[in-house]
Parts: sequence; structure tokens; C-alpha cells
Amino acid sequence: MAISQFLVRQGYEVIYLGRFNTPERLAAVAEQEDADLIGVSVHSWEFLAYADELVARCRDLGIGLVLGGSVLTDRDQADLIARGADAVFGPYAHEAAMLQQIDAIVHRVRAGDAATRPFGPKDAGLPGPLAGRVVIVTGAARGLGRAYTLELCRQGAAVVATDVDEAALEEVVGAARDTPGSVHAQACDITDSDAPRLLLRTALHRYGQLHGLVSNAGLLRSGPILRLDDDDLRLLFDVHVTAAFRLLRVIGGYWRAEAKAGRAIDAAVVLTTSSAGLYGFRAEAAYSAAKAAVAMLARVGADELGRYGATVNAIAPVARTRLTEWLGERTGDPADDPLAAEHIAPVIAWLLGPGARDVTGRVLEAGNGQISVPGTWQPGTPFPLPPLMSPAAADALLPRVLDSATPPAALLTSQIPADASHASFG
Amino acid sequence: MTDHEAPASAGTTAAGIPLRPFYRPDDGSRDQDTLADPGTYPFTRGRLRPPDARPRGWIQRELSGEGSPRRSNQQLRALLADGALGVDVIGDNPTVSALDPDHPMCVPSVGTTGVSLCRKQDFIELLAGLPLDRMTLSHSLPPAFALAGQYLAGPPNGIDPKVMRGSAIQAPIYSEDCSYSTFLPFAMRMRLSLDSIVFSLREMPRFHAFLEDTYYISDGGLNAVEEMSLGLLEIREVCRRLLARGLPVDSFAPRIAILVNCRMDLFEEIAKIRATRRLFARMMREEFGASDPRSWSANIAVHTSGLTLTAAQPANNIVRGALQAMAMAMAGVQGLEISTFDEPFRTPSAIAHQLAIRTQQVIQAETNIGAVEDPLGGSYYVESLTDELECRIDAAVRQIEELGDVDTLVESGYFRRILTGAMDRHSSAVQNGELRIVGVNEHTISPEADRFLRDIAEERFEPDYAHVERIRSWRASRRDAPLQASLERVRDASADPAADLMAPIIAALDADATIGEITSCLREGQGLPGDPFEYAARRLPAGTQP
Repeated sequence: MAISQFLVRQGYEVIYLGRFNTPERLAAVAEQEDADLIGVSVHSWEFLAYADELVARCRDLGIGLVLGGSVLTDRDQADLIARGADAVFGPYAHEAAMLQQIDAIVHRVRAGDAATRPFGPKDAGLPGPLAGRVVIVTGAARGLGRAYTLELCRQGAAVVATDVDEAALEEVVGAARDTPGSVHAQACDITDSDAPRLLLRTALHRYGQLHGLVSNAGLLRSGPILRLDDDDLRLLFDVHVTAAFRLLRVIGGYWRAEAKAGRAIDAAVVLTTSSAGLYGFRAEAAYSAAKAAVAMLARVGADELGRYGATVNAIAPVARTRLTEWLGERTGDPADDPLAAEHIAPVIAWLLGPGARDVTGRVLEAGNGQISVPGTWQPGTPFPLPPLMSPAAADALLPRVLDSATPPAALLTSQIPADASHASFG
Repeated sequence: MTDHEAPASAGTTAAGIPLRPFYRPDDGSRDQDTLADPGTYPFTRGRLRPPDARPRGWIQRELSGEGSPRRSNQQLRALLADGALGVDVIGDNPTVSALDPDHPMCVPSVGTTGVSLCRKQDFIELLAGLPLDRMTLSHSLPPAFALAGQYLAGPPNGIDPKVMRGSAIQAPIYSEDCSYSTFLPFAMRMRLSLDSIVFSLREMPRFHAFLEDTYYISDGGLNAVEEMSLGLLEIREVCRRLLARGLPVDSFAPRIAILVNCRMDLFEEIAKIRATRRLFARMMREEFGASDPRSWSANIAVHTSGLTLTAAQPANNIVRGALQAMAMAMAGVQGLEISTFDEPFRTPSAIAHQLAIRTQQVIQAETNIGAVEDPLGGSYYVESLTDELECRIDAAVRQIEELGDVDTLVESGYFRRILTGAMDRHSSAVQNGELRIVGVNEHTISPEADRFLRDIAEERFEPDYAHVERIRSWRASRRDAPLQASLERVRDASADPAADLMAPIIAALDADATIGEITSCLREGQGLPGDPFEYAARRLPAGTQP
């Protein structure tokens, strides 16, 4: 009963038939109503009598079968799966996990896979490496955030997508409809101090847990130092640095609490820096400084949140988005466009997935047909620093020190590159 | 709020009553009219008792019933040998739904979650050799059949039904929406309740003919206010209908008892019981005009909540049961059942039974809690909470009664929505951690580490196929003509709204009709399909939303 109410809240249409139904009647109603799945609540052990018949009837109809009940021990659950049930939930099955499994079964049924699928315990697994993972993506309405959200969904994740643009968010929800994952839109302004808490609450309410964060929201306020006013300066740091910091603080607090309660989560964060933050961008001092701060946030955040089971990495995407209008309009199929945001998304998905559990505190630069790990600040060759050095000694020493080091990479400019690797920022 | 201001709130009770960090002498009633001595109107502080009597303690019993009637009889004897003062017999799933064990849909669950009872001989075997004159027998079974069976089982065991004590659950309003559905229309359920109450008042005068069971309606997740308001609503409805039949209120009110739930907000549960005694007294005296003090004083038994027990770390349930039982001893209840530690998995195992009885015995014998009545009376907090619960429960009852007649509310699914809404609310609160449960949403351990007492808890009582065979072969041995004639009389009585149902039911049971057959005739008399599964399909057409 509780699960049917929960499913109704999640947008499913549920037909509840009450107690004491025969397999025959359940199947008849399911067929008449064109149901995707039959769910059976088990109160005692009478399920033994009808489990096999139910499985057979569900196979005939090509629909899913799920059983749940607090009396079902691990042994019962394994037994029912072996008999052919698609999923079995015992006591305290997590709502998020149940929803994920039911979503996946319904998806498979609608794709016509259920009838042909060989039933059996090994096959009850979930499609996609990110199935069962719940991820918050900020700035999800357009560009990179939209591409990330859709890719995460394709890989089975449940995404809480946020953006200031509510209408565009809804479009993303629609675009994700045919994926194995799901998107829950939660519009908000990421610079609000309450936004991280709202997003966490939304994720926990909707899916019961949270495994990942992609902090992607960004904006651009251009201008040389002499012209950028305080409002723009504050906004740049609010969006890129303060918002990301607050997300880490709030969500990190949740992961810490889970870890302390003995339920450490395999969590992952991807922050968004930029080649501007790594190499500098001409006439974008504030933006570059803010993005540099994000790279360091990933570095130190990795150390701090690592003890609660979270990885923290940053991506410097090179892609055609609203922030990079000078890269020109997007044209045609993303497959033909090396600057399309869609090429970055699999990198993000990998960083959130099981393959990247040991990767943390790293910055990756990806896009325009290539991916690399940019060189980071390293200690230079040390020279002795004479005590109370005279001006003449300084004149003699410092040029030598500077000459010994590799000069920094050239500042980026907005010339559209044909082949340069440090071409753009996102 | 700045740091140095005193906090204005300390959260809420489980039922949502706002709490303050502490309570003061001016919180809660202090007047003598409200807080009269224990045993005097309005009984806030304790039930009516003979003058100068020392507090008597409570009836200690445990839920029981497993497999065949003979096997269950052994279980009842073991409980009594362990010192239980009463028993509470629960039927297996078919039995509580008035289905026979050899019904094709029932066979695999026969005896697994209670005793299988479908014929007179079953009741005789269940009660064989029990000191029915010195113990109380409560049952979680369809009341009309349970009373009929018990009535017939008395004489063969040498017991006059007139001396039997115990209680029968009457739940005409809610049973179909909870787990005790008998697949009978509301009007028929109400008739069975009224007829069986009248029968019991006449033939078993020491028996509590009307046990209002708020335990089972509330254990899906109702809070204390919802629980007691629905309970009082049903008491009021049944009382009005008994009065309409011409029974004086003082003829039946003393035979009403209430079986309530006890969750984990212990002060709220204690206050609930005190508030219920007061509400019941005022209702009986002021609204129903009862003049016998025995009509005013509610007899309250408690069953500690199975919903508060966890499948994870089952040993923790022993602690929960002890805490709840201690609180209920302080609330001054007349009967107490502890849901055993293995409750999340099964009906009680023998060791769990013994532990639960021992828990009650430790509280009674060693703690001295029972020495003084209403030990918490006068607590600023408890009195304030008692007043608040009284007020909220009363308001909730009035609010529902203003919605219209109960028949319409039942048929429109009003109560089902309350019950399922509560289940959903509870489930969400556990999932999101709002309701803290140790071992479930905090302080969890891995399944591999969670083994203590688990083998006992998960041990399974296999379906009693032998009993099914016994019933199957017995069917053919019955004398058919008197059987069919008795069933025909049940059918006729069902068709006549003015006819008494108890006499034909008892006659049919005595003629070796089964409860399933009798219930089919009750349906057929109303022009409904005799088989409950056909009835269920007709009652709940496809497309009905939860």
C-alpha cells in the first residue's frame, strides 16, 4: 500500500485491487488496463501458492512482476527471483532503490524486452553503469549541463536537475523521458544561500539518497580589470566559487552523516573549472581568478570529503555553449562538431561511476577532440634566499631564479583556433 | 532567534503536539472534577475498582495461535504454565477472513500466522482442558463465529459459557479496510456485530462482548489522536445502534472494552490512555445518559505496537517491548500484550512468548511500579498532554461525525483513505529519517553482522497441510440433510434484515457447517456471490485508485 502511494506520487498510475486476488484476475486486469507491471504485497507465505502461476502469466503478457513484503527474508527474495520475479523487496527496501528498479522494469517492458528476456536471478541487474545513482546537476537547462543530464540518464542515473530557467529545465525532463534514468526538475538560483539545502532535500525526498553532484552552473561577466564593477565581480565569485563551496559544505555534511551512521556512500563530485582558470584568459581577470579558485576547491575538497567516501574532481570543458558565443553557432549533428557539449558528458559520467572510485583531486581538460590532465602548480627549483638581501643581490639573484623556471603558458584569447589545444573555455 | 534566547519549542510528540522544553505548575488540569482520585469519575487516574481494594495489576497475555487447533492448544497451555493470566488467540489469514483452510487460495497459508479454525470441533480442540473459568480468552477472529465457536466448545469441556471471561473484537466499520476483511458488506458486518453483542450479553454475561480494537486499525501508522478518534467513533456508532434496538445503555456499556496500541512516544501513549478514560466516562454519562458507574469506566487493554519493532537487529525489540510495557503499567491498563521480538517475521516463537511474559512479570514483581495507582498523575507534563489529547481526540470525533452518516463514509472509502494515508506517511517518515528508528535509519549494521536471534526470528512455521487433509476428509463424513437445512436457515436470516443471525449461525456450526460455508450463505442471502473471490472482484472493480 505504501509503495503504491509512493508510486502515485512519482507519477505512476496505480490500480489497487485490494486483498485476495487470484493470479487469473490480476492478469486479466493488467491486460485490460494495459499495465506495465504487476506488484504483489506479501503478508505471509501464501505467495508460495501462486508465485509460479503469476510469473507464467506475466511472461505471457510480457509485463513485469514485483513482489514486496516485510516478511520476505533474504532466502525468500532469492527464491522468488529464481522463480522469475523481476524484483523482490524485503523489509526496509529503500524507496529510491525500489523506484529505480521499477522504473527500469517499466522501461524494459515498454521497450518490448520483457517477454523475450530470459528470466532468472543473474538477469535482475540494472541497465547502465549509473543505475541507482542519484546525482544533482546544476545549470542543467542548457549547454553542458543539459548534455550531462541526458548522458547520466542514458546511463541509468536519476538526476535532480536545477537551473534558474524553469521552462528550459522542463524541456530537459521531456528529452530524458525515453532514457532508463529519470530527471526531477527543481528550479532555483544557485547563488541563494538556501539553494544547496533545497537541492539536497529535493533529492532525498524524491529518491531517498544522493550519490553525486555536478556543479556546472556558470555565467560570464566580461571586462578588463579597469572596467568590471563590484556587482559583476561579486556575481562571478558568487556563482562560481561561493555556490560551489556551499554545495560541498551542505552535501558533504549529508555524506558525513551517512558515513557516521554506517552507511558510507560511494559519492562523487565534479566541479567545473576552465582553461581560463588554469592558464588565464585575456581581459577576463575576474572570471579566470574565480575558475582558478574552483580548481583549488577540488584539490582541497578531495582531501576533506575523501574521508566520508566522496571523490572530488574538476573538469575544464572546452565546448560550444552560451558562455562561448565567440566559438560560433552550433551546427548540425554533434557527432560532426568537436566542440559539441555532448562529447564532454561521458567524461562526467565516468567520473561519477564505479570506474573512478580512486580518482580524486584531479583536474581534467576535455573537448575539441582531445582530453588531457593539465600540468598543475609544482614547487620550482629552490635557490638559497640570502638573509636580508641587498637590492643589488636581488638584482643579481631574481632574474636567475625566474630564468630557471618554465614560463607560464600564454594567456588564452578569443581567436577561434583551428588546431591549438588551449582554445577556449566553458 | 539569537543564541541566548531560550528555545520556544522542543519538537512535537509523535502525533504532532508541540512540546515545550519543560512544563510548569500552571500547565494542565488541576481541578478535582477532572483529576478525581483513581477509581472515581471521570476516571482520568484509573478505572473503577471496589472501594479499599489494592491495585490489582493487569492481565498478562500474549498473542498466540499456530497451526492446527491441537497444536495451538499446546501453545496456550505452555503460556499459562509460564504464568500468563489470559490468552489472545489469532487466526491464520484464512480464518480471520472467514475462509476455510481447504479453499484453493488458502492452503499454503494454513496455520502459518495463527491457528486454523473453521468448525465446531476446532474450537473444542483449541480450548480443551483450559481453565476457562479462571482465565480470560480474547480473540482476534471474526467475532460472531468466534463467540459461536467458544459458546459451543464450553459444555464439551465442562465449562458453562456463563462464567467465561474475555473479549471479542468488534470492528464493523474498519475491518474491511484493514487486514481482517471478511468480504461482507458493511450492513452485514454491522448486523453480525450487533447480534453477537446482544447474544454475548445474554449468554456470556462476564464476557466483554464489544472489544473496540484500535490496535489493529492503528498499527499501519495512525497517530494516537487518529487512533482514539476512530475508536471512539466506532464505539459511539455501535452504541447508538444498540440503543436503537431498545437496549438500555447500562445493559451493555459495562461490557465494552478497548484494546489500544502503544507506540514509542511513551508519555503521549500514557496520556492517551488517561484522556481516553476521561472521554469515555463523559461520553457515557453525559451523552448516552448511563447511570451505572461501571458504564462510565473504560476497561483498557494494550498491545504494544508491532510497527515499532524492526526486522533489523531483532534483539532491540526486546528492549522496545519492555519500555512500552513499563509505560503501560504506569498508565494503569487492565490487560497487556507485548509484541514479541520476532513479530516483524512471524507469529511468536516459544522463546519469544516466554520472554514477553517474563518481561511483564519482571515489571510487575520486581519494579514495584504497580504498587501505586497513576504514579505519573500530577506531572505538569503528563496532565498537560492528557488535556491536549482529550481536546484533539474529541475534536477529531466531532469533525468526522459532522461529515455525515457512517454508512456513507465507509462506502465512499473515507476510512480507507485515512488508513492508507497513514501507512504512506509512516513509510515516508522512516525513509527520510524524520521518524528515527535505531537499526533502521540510524545506527545500522551490515546484514552479515546482524545475526543475533535471527535464526529464531526467521524460523518458519510450515503450512499445516495435514490439517487441510483432515478437514477435506472430514467434510465427506458429515450428515448432509441437517447440514443443508441449517445453512438454508442462515441464508434466510441473511435475507431478512430484521432476523437475528446468531441463532442460525450457532445452529449451523453445531450441525458441522464450516465458517466458510456459513459466510457464503450470508453473502448469498444478500444476493451476492458466495465465494469471496468473486465477491471481491465485484466489490472492487478494476480501475479503482488506492
